[in-house]
Amino acid sequence: MELNSIKDAFDRVTKKQKLSSSKSQEVIDQIGQEIEHALLRIQSEQNSASPSDHNLILSELKTKLKAIAPLNHLEGTQKELNMALTKFPKLLEKSFNPDISKAYRNIDFDLHTVNQIIASHFYRESQFDLGDCFINESQELEAAAGKFPFLEMFQILEAMKSRNLEPALSWAARNHDQLNQNRSDIELKLHRLQFVEILQNRGRDEALKYARAFLTQFATKHMAVFQKLMACLLWAGRLDSSPYAELLSSIHWDKLAEELAQQFCNLMGESYKSPLSVTIAAGVQGLPTLLKLMNVMTGKKQEWQTMKQLPVPVDLDREFQFHSIFVCPVSRDQVSEENPPMLLTCGHVLCKQSITKLSKNNSTRRFKCPYCPAEVEAGQCTQLYF
Amino acid sequence: MSSSPMEVDSQLANGSSVVAAAPATAPPSKSGKLAESLKLEHQLLRVPFEHYKKTIRSNHRAVEKEISAVISGVSAAADSELSRDEAVDQLSSLVSRLQGLKRKSEDGSRTEHLQAQKCRARLEHLESAELENMSEWNNTRMKRILVDYMLRMSYYDTAVKLAESSNIQDLVDIDVFLEAKKVIDALQTKEIGPALAWCADNKSRLKKSKSKFEFQLRLQEFIELVRGDNNMRAISYARKHLAPWGATHMKELQRVMATLAFRSNTDYSFYKVLFEEKQWDILADQFKQEFCKLYGMTLQPLLNIYLQAGLSALKTPFCYEDDCTKEDPLSQEAFRKLAQPLPYSKQHHSKLVCYITKELMDTENPPLVLPNGYVYSTKALEDMAKQNNGEITCPRTGFVCDYTEVLKAYIS
Repeated sequence: MELNSIKDAFDRVTKKQKLSSSKSQEVIDQIGQEIEHALLRIQSEQNSASPSDHNLILSELKTKLKAIAPLNHLEGTQKELNMALTKFPKLLEKSFNPDISKAYRNIDFDLHTVNQIIASHFYRESQFDLGDCFINESQELEAAAGKFPFLEMFQILEAMKSRNLEPALSWAARNHDQLNQNRSDIELKLHRLQFVEILQNRGRDEALKYARAFLTQFATKHMAVFQKLMACLLWAGRLDSSPYAELLSSIHWDKLAEELAQQFCNLMGESYKSPLSVTIAAGVQGLPTLLKLMNVMTGKKQEWQTMKQLPVPVDLDREFQFHSIFVCPVSRDQVSEENPPMLLTCGHVLCKQSITKLSKNNSTRRFKCPYCPAEVEAGQCTQLYF
Repeated sequence: MSSSPMEVDSQLANGSSVVAAAPATAPPSKSGKLAESLKLEHQLLRVPFEHYKKTIRSNHRAVEKEISAVISGVSAAADSELSRDEAVDQLSSLVSRLQGLKRKSEDGSRTEHLQAQKCRARLEHLESAELENMSEWNNTRMKRILVDYMLRMSYYDTAVKLAESSNIQDLVDIDVFLEAKKVIDALQTKEIGPALAWCADNKSRLKKSKSKFEFQLRLQEFIELVRGDNNMRAISYARKHLAPWGATHMKELQRVMATLAFRSNTDYSFYKVLFEEKQWDILADQFKQEFCKLYGMTLQPLLNIYLQAGLSALKTPFCYEDDCTKEDPLSQEAFRKLAQPLPYSKQHHSKLVCYITKELMDTENPPLVLPNGYVYSTKALEDMAKQNNGEITCPRTGFVCDYTEVLKAYIS
């Protein structure tokens, strides 16, 4: 974003402010000097002066100060500063969207729901102290229970950071069935990593013991991996000079930690990314479009507040596309349960209502596909499931 | 991808074409989107600037006032018949007054400098947003938005903790909100002093925006006097502080003055409401509004604004189905609840997501249809066929078929 003009404008402000500041100091010094001068004169004439002399000095001082007109001096620089101070916010309003709440609907979010979402977000991001502090301040004490699964995940991941796979392995063992059901091979990956660690650091015998205890269960289903690991035994303690050196790479640890987090959340029935972060990110992408829409819809506040569907598409990145949306090319309607997508025999797809219209509600009547020369029958169209 | 003008499916009151009003937008590039999202950050720059401006102005006023006083002091000394000793005393005190002013002015300058630094830090932060490092920048934005929420809701400890733990103190406005806190706390203990002082501090701005907040504060004080049966004091208070507002707010003034006749235990609901405790809460809310307006902040927390936009943009009827993917925030009860009164999103073009790979099914990865009507991406089915000797098993129904039985669908 073009920020140079804004930076320049701000530099101007600070420059004027410095000028004004030094001017003030100058003026204060000047007045101070004049007064001190007068003071000295009065004090030095202590012995021989007549009563009216000090009054004369005071009058002279008064006149002198009037002549200097310190406040007028300040006015000049202050005026320039004020101009810069007024210009800058106008520049901001021009360069940015001055009111992003224009598209806000006056519906109050339920405070408890929002606070629960926030608490959950903190725990998920492993900020447990913060979450606790928040729960106390917002009095959302029930949300504290949500901490524990994420705490467990955090502890497992922390252990992995210091190359300790024990918690991860015991978790994987406990959830063996579920992980199998989800077709995840993370248990194998964990054991493989542990095996390599032992082989490199504790020697062949320990590694062999480990293989016998934990790797044999994978022998049939993951034959290739198993055999490869057994071959590693030949290079105990010096895997880095073996053909399998890359197994030592720390990338495996990072990737495995990520995969474990994903599986952990999956088993909990939670998403991997914080839903709050995802929603806010979607909001950041969508808000400019909504604000533009508001500009076009000024004066239609009532419609805005009550509409059931946004009148324009909000373009979000791919990562936010969680569902298949099929829009019938003929009617421009989004498909739904009542109006599902149908495959024509020619391979094109229309929504059911469009087909009904084109075939005049006659399932044997042939009609031409709107997109190719083929003739199709409504009754021969099959429903699609995305 | 084709470009399409922003077509709004509703007629404008004056019948003019919307297409003319909203220029045709080609699908925005990534950097275009980034620029658009940065344009939402008005508050980030405006708030510290307003704070800076206020400090500058109040420091300057103080300097002017003191200088004025010193000069008057000299005039007064010159015009009256002082003895030499008196003259010496007077001048000495003026000198030390100026020295005090000099120190205070230097302090003020330092504060202004720090506040200017804060403004600069924010500009630099905006500049640092680049396409390559957005995940970190977005993370920081999430935290900024949360701190803003904490401050609005008065969860100050959490706000400070969050700001410190992520080192974003320069990017959030805790100090500004703490100023507001003083006034709000006072109002909640029925103390009007700080609020009135705040009005005095911001007199010209409030006047420019035709704010009647001060008037409402005065009204409340009046009510409290009536509540305490201090009718005589109430009347003289009204003369001094309420009458000046009579020109512009006569109706309200009359209504409140009438409470003199009814007293605090009246049952007459029209006046009873004026005596209720929650008038103080209303005052606190009004203060928050004035305060936010002055600093260029939105009335609502940023979190709510972005949440509403995000929920609406993500909301589809499919989110409410039982098998909605867990990665969709709207699969969660809490989010569904919040999104319930919001409008659904709209698509003009089909966007299909493969159930297996979660990738987009487009011309590079076209959708294929199984004999049972279920659709998956070419990549997913090719992989499956490769690993299973050409056999395809539908993951949702268990239906089995051969890869050769799969049909191609043409989706525009």
